[in-house]
Amino acid sequence: MLLQRSDLPLSDDPAVRILPWIVGLMVYLATLTLAVALLVSTLTANWSAGLTGTVTIHIAVINDESEAVMNRRVEEAIRLSLKTPGIDAARAIPSDEVAALLAPWLGDEAPIADLPLPRIVDVTLTPDSTVDVAGLSARLKAEIPGAGLDDHQLWRDKLVDFLLAIQVVAVLMVVLIGATTVTVVIFATRSGLAVHNEVIDVLHLIGARDEYVAHQFQANALKLGLKGGFAGSIGGLLTLIVIRYTASELDIELFPTHLFQIWHWPVLASVPIIAASIVRFSARHTVLRALRRMP
Amino acid sequence: MTNVENSVVRFENVGMRYGAGPEVLRDVTFTLPPASFHFLTGPSGAGKSSLLRLMYLANRPSRGVVSIFGKDVTQISRRALPALRRNIGVVFQDFRLLEHQSVFDNVALPLRVAGGNEEQIRKHVSELLRWVGLEKSIENLPSTLSGGEKQRVAIARAVIGRPRLLLADEPTGNVDDAIAMRLLYLFEELNRMGTSVVIATHNETLISRFEHRQLHLDQGGIEYRQNGAGSRDAASA
Ligand SMILES: Nc1ncnc2c1ncn2[C@@H]1O[C@H](COP(=O)(O)OP(=O)(O)OP(=O)(O)O)[C@@H](O)[C@H]1O
Ligand SMILES: [Mg+2]
Repeated sequence: MLLQRSDLPLSDDPAVRILPWIVGLMVYLATLTLAVALLVSTLTANWSAGLTGTVTIHIAVINDESEAVMNRRVEEAIRLSLKTPGIDAARAIPSDEVAALLAPWLGDEAPIADLPLPRIVDVTLTPDSTVDVAGLSARLKAEIPGAGLDDHQLWRDKLVDFLLAIQVVAVLMVVLIGATTVTVVIFATRSGLAVHNEVIDVLHLIGARDEYVAHQFQANALKLGLKGGFAGSIGGLLTLIVIRYTASELDIELFPTHLFQIWHWPVLASVPIIAASIVRFSARHTVLRALRRMP
Repeated sequence: MTNVENSVVRFENVGMRYGAGPEVLRDVTFTLPPASFHFLTGPSGAGKSSLLRLMYLANRPSRGVVSIFGKDVTQISRRALPALRRNIGVVFQDFRLLEHQSVFDNVALPLRVAGGNEEQIRKHVSELLRWVGLEKSIENLPSTLSGGEKQRVAIARAVIGRPRLLLADEPTGNVDDAIAMRLLYLFEELNRMGTSVVIATHNETLISRFEHRQLHLDQGGIEYRQNGAGSRDAASA
């Protein structure tokens, strides 16, 4: 079907000749943007499900109490935590680790050892389980003086909001890229209609239906769309692979490609096919609309 | 007597103008019965091409009624036009061949547009091109042909679909008399099989050689002539 003889020398039109380049560029951009959206959506899902979450229990120093009393409160907090369903582990962070964590904020000279540092218990949640974090927090407050629980909820909510915003922007960009492609196709097709007005007129007088004329344009548009689309798609996927390897080489999480899921790849690979279909449909629609207005 | 119901073409008080220009046809009334053969004559600018344009549905009359195959053209929907036009073969005064396509593809076009079988198309087109003497140019582009050769391609394209109505605008303007005669025989052959033929021409030799009726146009009005005798033909009016 793609190799069929055409009644219109469409491939000679300058406006049509740049079409594969534009579609290629658009598919390239759409593939990368969509990849970002997919990664971020995995990230968002992980965060909002609390899968990566830990909660932290902090226990404040109460005036001049002995180390032993303090340790007892810490042990009590660990015991309470481990009794809560869905909690895997609870570990008291040693004082020197807490000091090390704070050092960058306090400066080297600060007499950290002399400060009344709170004790911190790191609680690890079982993945994929729902934990009654609020209940644990209430029990801690009731039973252990100076204890409190921080589930990072506020911070996590803000992060999820931010990730959602990135996704919305990415989707908007894909929509804009699609709209730009459609606009370019409409103009290229209109220019083709104008250039070949004479031939189209003859085809009509010979008894061609609008459908026949539209077929010539849409077949050509599909061919060019697939050509440009696959080139752009290969470029986009190669770029992702290069970023992935460069990132792992440098040992940075610039682009958390480990978050890619198997189903993401067919989604990304379908971009050129969807783009080519949009190109074909836009060309067809433009031709049929224009012809319907002819006498 | 002409049966109006069966008429191939029927004009009633037809007027035509291009845009807001003057009327180029005025009060034109005539009827073409099936399987008729007419020359369309008249001085340059009389409106011959315009009259043919009305018949091949490229223009609509600005007043009056034009009926083709018994259908009032102003009542025909856009969707119904292609089917009607496939029954009308046209030789354009300026040929209007598709310049990037071979002679073969140009002639095959009406059959392909109608969704014909490619094998049949190959057979019919080759046969017809042999008849018009273009078998050697079958793969050539129109731009490599002489004016007369292009004209023959245009004629082959017009007749390939065995139309019920054949309209030819100066189809012998660029060929010598021998070829003109041969082309006229082709038209007569088609006419014998039931096609109504209208040929706009200035060629007096042809008009006198072939004894067909004439539709004579002058200053936008029409007159019937039998063999160029200038007598109005009441029976057809
Ligand atoms: N597309 C057009 N727009 C405006 N006026 C036109 C158009 N085509 C033809 N005319 C005018 O209509 C009149 C009739 O033209 P037409 O071409 O029908 O004459 P004709 O009899 O075919 O002439 P010829 O023998 O030279 O081919 C002329 O005055 C011409 O100027
Ligand atoms: Mg003319």
